[in-house]
Amino acid sequence: MNKKTILIIDDDIDLVEIIRVTLENENYEVIDAQNGDRGVAMARDRNPDLILLDVMMSKVDEGFQVAYELRGDAATKDIPILMLTAVVDQSGFDFNPDKDAEFLPVDEFLEKPVSPRKLVDMIRKHLPTSV
Amino acid sequence: MAAVRNKFLVSRESSQFVSAASLRVRLDWFNKLRWGAAAGILVAVTVTNVYLSQSLPLIPLLVTTGVLLLLNLGYVLRNQRLAPKDIDAELRLVKLQMVGDLLVLTTLLNLTGGVENPLLYIYVVHVMLASLLFKGSEIYQITWLAIFLFTAEVMGEYLGVLPNHHLLSAGALTHELPFISVSLASFWMVMLFCAYMGASIMKHNRSIKDELVEQQAELVKADKAKMDFFRFVTHEVKSPVNTAQSAVETALELGSGKMSPAVEDMLTRAVRRLQQATEIVKDLADLTRGGMLKKENLQVVDLSRLVDRLAARLRDVADRSGQKIVLQVPDEPVVITTNLSMVDKIITNLVSNAVRYNKDGGQVDVALTSERKVVLLKVADQGIGIAPEDQSRIFEEFFRSAEAQKKTTLGTGLGLAIVRKFVDDLGGSLKLESEVGFGSTFTVSLPRAPGKALAPKRDKRTMS
Repeated sequence: MNKKTILIIDDDIDLVEIIRVTLENENYEVIDAQNGDRGVAMARDRNPDLILLDVMMSKVDEGFQVAYELRGDAATKDIPILMLTAVVDQSGFDFNPDKDAEFLPVDEFLEKPVSPRKLVDMIRKHLPTSV
Repeated sequence: MAAVRNKFLVSRESSQFVSAASLRVRLDWFNKLRWGAAAGILVAVTVTNVYLSQSLPLIPLLVTTGVLLLLNLGYVLRNQRLAPKDIDAELRLVKLQMVGDLLVLTTLLNLTGGVENPLLYIYVVHVMLASLLFKGSEIYQITWLAIFLFTAEVMGEYLGVLPNHHLLSAGALTHELPFISVSLASFWMVMLFCAYMGASIMKHNRSIKDELVEQQAELVKADKAKMDFFRFVTHEVKSPVNTAQSAVETALELGSGKMSPAVEDMLTRAVRRLQQATEIVKDLADLTRGGMLKKENLQVVDLSRLVDRLAARLRDVADRSGQKIVLQVPDEPVVITTNLSMVDKIITNLVSNAVRYNKDGGQVDVALTSERKVVLLKVADQGIGIAPEDQSRIFEEFFRSAEAQKKTTLGTGLGLAIVRKFVDDLGGSLKLESEVGFGSTFTVSLPRAPGKALAPKRDKRTMS
């Protein structure tokens, strides 16, 4: 059986565990990293089928930096990225997915809290069908 | 302790009561008055010399009037070329003008009867103006100059140092010592009294103004502290609430069909309350967002289309209680340059409030009108209305009127606070008309371009 692997990059360990339960229940293999650097390294090593990336980790735009880094690397540039965004954050950093989409290196924005059903739907939508 | 001591030690100079710009408006007005005065002199001289068989000294009068005209031309040119920026520079000019005016006035009085001429009241006008505009010793400099000039003129005529030019038949008065003494004594008294009264009233006014300015600054500071606090709390609460909501939703999903109904009911309640908390966090994040507008966040927005779209989005909710949303939107685009997400939020909050607090089966009118410099958005409902004593509080954070709370438990109490803040940020204004039991009408006026609301250019935060 060819299990798909999903990498979660998020520093909120509780959220990682919650998502893990949902995804493992859907028969995905889940790996995780709690910071951007480790996330990028893990993406290179394990070549996941999809990445869930938190937009804000400890630094204001760490998520975006990670996304650019992944897109800039031949080994990881084709992996779909779903970005988890918090409600408009406190730094006044204001982006508009409609307007900025072409400049942003991710495939989808999901606003937290994401319901488990919606999360699974979105993952199915973006997972490459052919293996 | 140190702060308290400072308050007593630092004797701060009070600020000026008028600003450079507002003073300039009046100075321009005085320039016009001076043209009028010159014309008046010429008319008066003609009338007295031709019709009243008086022979006022024509040439000296014309020369003096000419000097006045030249001086005034100088003032006018100066005002045209120099923008009113520095209040001290403006006040120096006023002082110069007053000295010039007093000299011209004294010369004119000498040529037209001196103490016999009732136009000497004009000295009092100058002292009054000086006491309104200047502070302390400057007022008395002008006052004593006026007193000196007039006294010198009168005594000069009496002693024969200056020529007499009598007015009408009043000829003898200039040489009657009792009359002169009484005139001069009352003149001195009136002048000094005016200077003193004006000075003390204005000193009081200035201290009130300073107090108000200081209080205003305190209020701004307090408001900023409040926003900082909200922002901090929002930031801290956001993740736990999000994660908790995800956890409970996931538990409900995983346990579906395997839990006892009581457990499922508990978890459903928990999700609902967490959704409420998320709403509050979202609203607080909106409220504390931003600050001043930045150029890169502006775009051209067609309000006609936006209002159409947002109203369509809220129609379902309105339908549920049999309400109608009636749009009155121009067919042609209503285009403004603004921040789309903020305007979106303003319209959404106002219309969804209108629907929420409307009577069942009622109507919500949304009208968009376009004026030269602004666009007006009017949102009217036929709902519970807002009591007069609540109307000023309705825009405060977390305030919900008793009627609103009775009507529904939904609502974070932040919607209108966000509307007010965003309208402010966009450089617009907001009006509320409401009658209890008959409904409320909110009118938002937004500028076509942000203009003054735009933040001055600063180093941009870069993202990549």
